[in-house]
Formats: sequence, structure tokens, C-alpha cells
Amino acid sequence: MERIKFKINGKQYELLVEPHEMLSAVIRDKIGLTGTKIGCEQGTCGACTVLADGKPVLSCIAPALRFDNAEITTIEALAQNGALHALQQKFVDKGAIQCGFCTPGMVMTALDFVNHHPNPSTTEIKEALSGNLCRCTGYKKIIEAVAEYAAEAHRPIRFSKPNKSHLHTSVGVSRPYIEAGRKASGAAEYADDIHVKNALHCKFLRSIYPHAKIDRIDVSEALKLEGVRYIATGAELPVKFGVLPISQDETAMAIEKTRYVGEIVAAVAADTEAIAAAACRLIKVEYRPIRPFLEIDDSLRDIGDSEKIHDYGKFNNNVHKKAELRFGDQQQGLREADVTAKMTFKFEGVNHGFTEPHAATAFWDENGLTIYTATQVPHYLHRALAKTMEVPLSRVRVIKPTVGGGFGGKSDPFPHEVIIAHLARKTGRAVRVRLSREEVFLTNHGRHPSVMTVEMGISKDGIIQVLDADIVIDGGAYGSFGVVTSYYNGVLLQAPYKLDNFGFRTYRVYTNKPQCGAMRGHGAVNSRFAVESLIDELAYQINMDPCELRMKNFLDSNTLTVGQYRITSNGSRESLQKVMEQSEWKKRIGKLPAGRGLGVGCGFFISGSALPIIWNELPQSVVHLKLDFDGRVLITSGASDIGQGSDTMLAIIVAEVLGIDPEKIFVLAADTLLTPVDLGSYSSRVTFMAGNAAKDAAENLKKEILRVVSAHFETPESELNLANNRVFSNDKSADLSWLEAVDRLTAGRGAVSVSGKYISPKLGGDFKGAGAGLSPSYSFGACVAEVEVNPDTGQVKVLQVWGAHDCGKAINPMAVEGQLEGSWHMGIGQVLSEQMRYFNGLLINNNFLDYKIPTTLDTPDIHTNIIETIDPEGPFGAKECGEGALHPVIPAVTNAIYNAVGVRITKLPINAEEVLRQMKAIKVLEATQELSLA
Amino acid sequence: MTLEKTYFRPRSIGEAVRLAAEYETDLRYLAGGTDVMVNKFQETDTSTCLIDLTGIEAMKQTQQKNDHLSIGALVCLDDLKKIPEISAEFPLLLEAVQAVASPVIRKTATLGGNLLCENRCAFFNQSEWWRQAAGFCLKCNGATCLATGGTLNCFSKFASDTAIALVGMDATITVLDKEAEYTVPLEEIYTGDGLDPRKLDKTALIRSIELPIGRGFRSVFKKLRHRETLEFSSLTSVVTIDQIGQVKIVLGGVDPKPVVVIGTIADDKNELIKKAIKKARIVDNDVYSRLYRKEMIGVYLNKSFEELEQADFLSNKLAS
Repeated sequence: MERIKFKINGKQYELLVEPHEMLSAVIRDKIGLTGTKIGCEQGTCGACTVLADGKPVLSCIAPALRFDNAEITTIEALAQNGALHALQQKFVDKGAIQCGFCTPGMVMTALDFVNHHPNPSTTEIKEALSGNLCRCTGYKKIIEAVAEYAAEAHRPIRFSKPNKSHLHTSVGVSRPYIEAGRKASGAAEYADDIHVKNALHCKFLRSIYPHAKIDRIDVSEALKLEGVRYIATGAELPVKFGVLPISQDETAMAIEKTRYVGEIVAAVAADTEAIAAAACRLIKVEYRPIRPFLEIDDSLRDIGDSEKIHDYGKFNNNVHKKAELRFGDQQQGLREADVTAKMTFKFEGVNHGFTEPHAATAFWDENGLTIYTATQVPHYLHRALAKTMEVPLSRVRVIKPTVGGGFGGKSDPFPHEVIIAHLARKTGRAVRVRLSREEVFLTNHGRHPSVMTVEMGISKDGIIQVLDADIVIDGGAYGSFGVVTSYYNGVLLQAPYKLDNFGFRTYRVYTNKPQCGAMRGHGAVNSRFAVESLIDELAYQINMDPCELRMKNFLDSNTLTVGQYRITSNGSRESLQKVMEQSEWKKRIGKLPAGRGLGVGCGFFISGSALPIIWNELPQSVVHLKLDFDGRVLITSGASDIGQGSDTMLAIIVAEVLGIDPEKIFVLAADTLLTPVDLGSYSSRVTFMAGNAAKDAAENLKKEILRVVSAHFETPESELNLANNRVFSNDKSADLSWLEAVDRLTAGRGAVSVSGKYISPKLGGDFKGAGAGLSPSYSFGACVAEVEVNPDTGQVKVLQVWGAHDCGKAINPMAVEGQLEGSWHMGIGQVLSEQMRYFNGLLINNNFLDYKIPTTLDTPDIHTNIIETIDPEGPFGAKECGEGALHPVIPAVTNAIYNAVGVRITKLPINAEEVLRQMKAIKVLEATQELSLA
Repeated sequence: MTLEKTYFRPRSIGEAVRLAAEYETDLRYLAGGTDVMVNKFQETDTSTCLIDLTGIEAMKQTQQKNDHLSIGALVCLDDLKKIPEISAEFPLLLEAVQAVASPVIRKTATLGGNLLCENRCAFFNQSEWWRQAAGFCLKCNGATCLATGGTLNCFSKFASDTAIALVGMDATITVLDKEAEYTVPLEEIYTGDGLDPRKLDKTALIRSIELPIGRGFRSVFKKLRHRETLEFSSLTSVVTIDQIGQVKIVLGGVDPKPVVVIGTIADDKNELIKKAIKKARIVDNDVYSRLYRKEMIGVYLNKSFEELEQADFLSNKLAS
């Protein structure tokens, strides 16, 4: 240890620091300023940016001892006397903050940049922020925030007052997230920022074989290390779990064998992270490798004498699930169709890439188990922990702190959560864990690598006649959401176009790789890509504008699909119309310079699964409201805000119904002890279901208020209004301020609690598989993309994306825009650069340098359009906007490539080499044709 | 994470080299550290003594000395653009700098550090656990190269973009080690052996980089990478032509050292390009395939010559 003196945020510190300690660790763990985030540990994501002597520094790769006598400024220093710095305030006001995990680093980088470049261009801002990754926003609002701040920065007032213009607004008016200020200032607490006293640190030993028997684990040397408190191995946690009741196939640690490289084999709880890590290295494991199955084809085939990955299924292969549904006879339909096209598509796996790594702390006390963890689904984790710990449900409490993004990647119960719960029980101490970025990638649960052959037939005048899809998805080592994914790949093709003859078959196979699960746009992203590519191909074949062909085939509103999905509101046509107009499609298509092209894609998605994962008769969401003497309404809801803004959505809905400012509302969410059950943030269900429950609760509270006010003034309830923080009758004979009304309500009674709920209507057919993809409502959308293909290198640049999405009603338009822009950005990642690459089952690109999330410079200009169709059952007409928008953007880009250079992309991500190869082949073909014509 | 036992932050070059001599068996100099600290995190660098040079002000100076510009090795990449002589005479260096990593990293990373950036390979730049699981490769004392399956040679990629630009402009460096101070053409310190890519004493540090003034370099810089920022090079190409018609092609990211081909404007450029392609020992250790990168050498160099000719044409036109 060496002594170091430095000032952090103006305060002098003198500390003992190890030579190997990074500045970020000292700032966070020794000084407790947890606003500085660690997202990648390798200087790639920028979340750890602080200023040292006024210069931005990536503190996760800066040795602390270098900063002796330095002045360090962290995000916490910017706000002064309770007022956010003008740049922070700009991030808040512009909606540049979603999960908020990248925000501190982004703000520090931007602050330094604007200080040195007072009048930056957008290009300069993009360049300056290109070392700070954001997975939520698509950067658009961040760039706007920085630009506006720079434009205003010459004003003498450095500290601006918060923008209060949103105070008297409610549904339909943009409003920053209620917690945005906390995120901007660095005060928001994410799982790794929470320090429970006297906690031990946990580290894992992970398998180095994809498929191997474990003959022996020797922990004796590791146990001798001073500071090691407990070492757990798989046999101690034999109870299987999984998010779906039908796929309870995972244990917290490998027991008899390992099924992927990276699976946890042993866990150490020790006084420090370093000791725990050192102990892991002293554990000796004797493995006996057996035949691994790494590719889809290997897992589909009979495996002879080899051992299956799971003893599951009656066949001698590694097929996990076969899902098949047929409406009509596809073979006959294809024979009878005027024009058909058949293509085979291949998709690499992709990862959620949320910026906050998994982290959690667990402890036991007189109330049983408590765990703080970065989760999207406290409810399912609650159940999984009760099951694996073998305690009653009433002895488990799951608390979701601020979560730094999820996108489906935090929606399973995870081994690390089960293990620390176990270690905490064994040691009687709190146990904390944070995964490295490499471990996050190994944990995966991302989008399934897939191969599919899809065939479509259309009539000469462009009416879709038949669709058949044959799909195989690579699930990795465990089940996760895979059974649902298997169905979604098929069933979610039955819209947005009218289809009478439609069938699919999906196989999900186990392989010895990290498991796949649910990721934004769950299940349907890849198969949607296939269908949108085929439609494009067929449109060219029959010489019809691909937009026109789509317009001809859209389902109507208030109709049923072939598989009996009930379509209510449907903004497909409006969405496509909007992006066609904005991109000047008709004027520009086919008339762009060489190498440039326009492409279109459409899509739809569920607004929450109508059926719960675990069958029971509970409502899908319950919201409680408590109104007390102070006039504040407390919302308690199990809904999980993971950066998408659901807490704010609840507040807006309740405020709207009660006619009060959202500032009079306090949201307490996602604590399974205190909040009623909501099933979680998955399947794009929260606005629709928790929103409806909140609306129901607020209406129940409103009834209570109306009842007492009506009685007091002897005015009929129908004459009374709740608006502008008042309760008043139409003739103003009754006119109470909100507090006066509250006084009347609470008199002789005290605090009033009401409840609201949402239960999905009974939907769908009665055939097997009819439940998959059922939703009380569906979102619809369209994208047009413009690309440029380099003729010499095959490199593709996406220049513009015009997107429109029917979200029913934008409860908070700024938040909706953020969801759409983030979805399109994520789609651009999947189409251009993201893939999980394996070497003998070992993930090669397990970090943010090699897993290529688009930076500001790789993200095109995005034009965002909200389409409102006012859904009859959504809260104020709202439906989903967080996932569906991702679907159309990917085929829009590749269809634009086809339009530009005639290359049909059938593998994702795009590979410049492949584009170039095909461009050359086309040239050769054209030359041969010319020759033969001559 | 390697637990370094010793950390020094000397204030003079002499002190640094003295300390280095004392800890010679297990030391790592640290300039910006943006490469070293990641390697230490992944434990591809397990030295236990760090000598942090950033406190040495003398290595941050830039001055004109006779016929060359001497740039202190510790000048931050981001600060190079503030040096008027560089913008005026060596804009190629600034182009290369702009292509390095991300803007934030460039505010810490130094020119000297970038020249000594460790060679890279998809199978080497991984955690200790990963490399164990994959089977340690040649570069981490294993028996087999995972990229080629060979047992003799490591072809880890040369990773410094600024070095490619500097070699293109015939830069020299002044090196100080426990024995002596000497000046050497930059390209000569690179061995081409992926296992031991630099011919420098353990105690050696680059004091400064010298660029020849008045050579009137015209140049084209190109870099192949997946994203427009952050990335190490999959192929970096530089073509320079000086006043007397020396043509120099330098390639990075396609061999364990910079690939250099020298000719004159009188030479057939196609022959020069062919030579460069032939010299590059590319293997499949990158996100782009070997064949694609090989093809791109030709594409980039042809394009570079075209651009140079076009610039010539334009300047001639302007002159007339």
C-alpha cells in the first residue's frame, strides 16, 4: 500500500492505495462516490469518465497512484446547492437519460468538450462522444442536449433552474423521467452502488470446457487462504430453476457436468473481491471432457453413443422444443401461388449489451432473505429464490434498485442471484457480487442464433397468398424463455399482413454454449427479417413498389388474424405512409446515385402477453394507491423501471385521473415485500398492464373523493371534476383545492388506500399453441432506411432512418421517442456489426471493444414519428413502444442495400466481404449477359 | 488482475531508467496506460513493477532541432494537433491520431505509448481464464498458435496507427536504456516476431520522436475498421511521396510489424502494391477474414495512389 493525497470534488483525501488499484475503484469503493460507473473495465464504454486536473480520464484504466496531488472532479461535483449543472439539466429536460448508467460519463465527457468547443457542430459533438457507449437512447437526445447546452452556455448563469413547464401536464405531454435528476447527478443507486454493512464479496470459478463431467472439485487449498469465508459447489444447490415452469433445467452451479464454457462450477465468499478471485484460482477441478455440441446441425442429428446435453425429450438428439402450427395447406398454396420466393437465412446470436453489469447483494435476517439485484422481473426471481432456497414465498424479498438497462437480459432468475443468497445464508453475512463484462457476456440469454428457410407466394397483383417458415434456433445450454421464443419465431408472422394460408415449424436445440433467451423484440426479430426480405424480393419480381405491396396486404383494424389474434387498433398504414412521405420515397426510390438505396420494412409486436408465464388466477398487475393528509399519492407497484420510464408512466396516469401535478405523486416500485405483484418488464407489457392497473386504482381513488365531496356539497358526482389540482363542480358551487378535498376524504378516517388491477381478457383459439403471442393489443410500425454501399470495399453505411410506430397513445411522448430511437439503434447494431463469435464454444468477443455496439459515429440520423391510434383497451389508448420498433429497421437497411447494389442479404450481421463478393458476382453476370446479348 | 507490488512515478528520465535497471526482470513502463492497463486487467501483462512516466515533464516537450521536429514521447495524442509544426508539416500524423481509439482515450494515450502498443490477436487479447479455456497460445507460452494451428510463429497484429504514419515519414526515435542513448529509424525497432515484437532493451524508453522537416510529404492514410471509432486496426495503410519522389508504402494491422515498401514515383505502382501485399503475413486473427484484408490492401493502396494523383493534378491545375 502507498499513501496518496488528492482532492476529490474539492475535498482533501489521504488514503492508502494498492499499486494495482484503479482510480475508479478508489472513487467508488474507498470514497463512496458511486456516481462514477464501471461498465466495461477496459476503457471502452466511457461510463467511468471523470476529470483529473480538468482533463477527462477513463478512471477504470487509470492507476490511482498516478493521481497523487491531483484534483479529481466526479459527476457528484457538478450540481451545486441543490441545482443541477445546466448540462445535467439539459440531459434531464431533453430526455437524454433513460437507464442513466452511461449518463455520468457522458456528461463529464460532454462538459469537457463544450468547454473547449463553445460552438460545436453536430458532427463534432458526435465525434466527441464517440467513446461513450449508450445502449438506450440511440444518442439522438444526448446529442441534442449537448448541442442545446453549448448554444446556451455563453449565458452568464451557469446553474439553470429546472424546467417546470411540465408541471401542469399529464397524459400526452412530454415530461422527463421523475428520477432523471437523480440519474444526472450521480445520486441514483444501482445494484453495485448499494453497500450493505459488513458484506462479503463473491467470485466464481467457471468451467473451461463446453461439455465435461466433473469428477472432483478440491477446494482445500482455496479454503486455506486468509479471508476466505465459504466456498460453495454445485451439490449444495440441487434445486433446479428456470423462468418458465416447463424449462426448470438449470442449477445455480454445474453439478455433475458442465454444459458451456463459463458455467459456474464453484463460488467463493471472501473478505475482499481480490481474495475471492485468488481463492478461485486455487480450486482444483478434475474435468472429463465429453463430446460437445456447438452447432445447430450437430444438435438436430441423432447423436449415437454420445451423451445428450440434457436428459430431455424422447429422441436421441439435443432438440429442446418443436413448435408447429399450420393454418391451411402451405405446400398446395405454394403450388397454386402466382409467384413464389424461397430463401434461407442465417443469424448470429446477439447480446443485450446493457451498460450496467449484473450486480446484487443478498442477506438474511429475521425476515428471511433480502436481495438487491439488477433485475427486470422481481416477481419471478422471488419465486425462483423461494424454490431454490427451499423457503416459503413469504421469506423472500426482492428489491430492484435503479437498473442500468435490461432489454430482456435481466429477465431470468440468474445463478449468481441464487448463489449469493446461498452464501449469505451459509455465512450469516451479506454477500455481494458484481459480474465483469466478460461474465455478463457469458451469462448471455441474448437473441438466439437462427437458421430458417422461408417461402412465400403472392398473386401477380401483389396479394400475399401463402407463407411457410422452417426455423431452427440455437438455445445454448439451458431453456430460459426458449419455448416461448420457439413459438414467437413462427406465430408472430401472422401479422401485420393478411394471411390465410400460413404455417411454421420451429426447432429449438440445446448446444454447449451460453444460453439464449429473450431479447428486445423477443423471438420475432429474425423471422420478421426473413419475411420482410422475401416481400421485398417478391415486390421486385412482380415489379411493384415494395411499399405499395405492403399497403395492399396490411390487416385492418378490429379484425382477427388467421391464428385468432384479436387486432384492435392498427396503425400500420399510417406508419408506412408517414415514413414514405418523410423519406420522399416515391420521389427518390430508384433515382438515387449509384451505390445508394432506399429500403422499407414493417412489423408489429405484442403489448404484453395475455397469459402469465406461471399459470395462476392473480391479476397480471396490481397497483395500490395511498392518499394521506399531506395530499401526496403514493403509488406502489411491482412494475420494474429499467430505464424505459415506467415509474414516470404510472405517475402520469394517476396524475391525469386525479387532475393533480405529477409532483404530488411518489412512486414506490418493485420491492416484493412492499409492492403488489406485477409480472415484470418483459413482453412489452408494462404500460398496457401496469398502466391500466394504475388507471383503475386512480379511478377507484377518484370515486372515493367524489363520494365525499358530492355528499358535502350535495352535488351529483357527475357534476364534479378533478383538474388543475382542484375538485370543483361545473357551476363552481363546489370548489375545493386538492388539499381541502383530501381533508374531507381523510376526516375521521385517516389515510385512504385503494387498489387497481389489470386482467387480460380471454383471447384466442382453443388449439394447441393458440396461447403463444396472444396479447390484448398489438403495436405496429414501419421504417425506411437509406444506405450507401462502397463499391470497392463492400462496406455499408446507414445514412438515414425514418421510423414510425403506432404506440396507441404516447402517454409521455419524450419517453416514447426514446424507446423508438433506442430500438432503431439496437436494430442497426444487429444489422451492421453485432454478433457473438465463438471459438470451440468459447465466446471470442466478450467485451465492448470486440462486441460492436454502434457508437455515435456509426448511428445514422434518425427521424422519429409517433403514430397514435388510441387503443380501445390501453390506458388512455396506449400500447407498447419498447420492442416492436426494432423489427422493421433491420430489413429496411438490408432492403436498401438490395435497392442500392442488388445484393440480397440473407445473413446477419452484414459482412462487407460477402457484400463485395456478391457485387462482383453480379458484375460478372451482367457482363456475361451483355456478351451473350451482343 | 495482476496485483502489482511496486509502483513508481519518477520525475526525471534518469531516475526512470535507474529504477528500470533495478527492477529489470519484471517491469513495465507506463505512459498513458490505456493499452498497458487493459493488458494488465486481462493479465496478458503480468509484470509486477510499474514505472509511470507521466510525471516526467521533459518528455512532454516538442522542439525544432536543426532539420527535424522532435516530439516528446509523452505528448498526448490529443495534444499533437495543438502543435503548429505538426499541422503544417505532418498532417498525416494527425490523421493517424484521429483514427486511434476514441477521443477520451486520446486525451490520455501518448505518442510514445502508441508506438509501443502491444501486438494484438483475437486469441491473445483475452482474460487469463479465457486463454486457459482456449488453450494457451504461443504468445502466452503455449505450444500452438490458435489462429494458424502452427507451432513456430506468432503473427499477432501490429496495432499502432501512429507508427504507420511515422514510418511513412521516415521518423526516427531517440531511445534511452540503462546502457546508452541512441537514435534509430522507428521501423527498425519492430522485429516482425509476434512473440517479441520490439527490439528494445527491457529498460529502454522512447524519449522522443523525430520527424524530418522540409521533406514535403504528400500522403494518404486509410484504416479498415468495423466501427468509426474505438477500434484497433484491421488494416492501416499509408502512402507517402516526398519532394524528391520517394514513394513509401506502410501497412499496419496485417503483420506483426509495419510492412514497408519503398520505391520512387518512376516505379510501376502496381508492382509496389503487389510487393506490399506479398510482404504482409496476414492470418485469421481479426474480425475481418485474412482474404478480405489482403484484398483490401490492394483496394486501399490503389485508392491512395489515385487520390495522390488527383491531388497532384489539382495542385498542378491550381499552379497553372
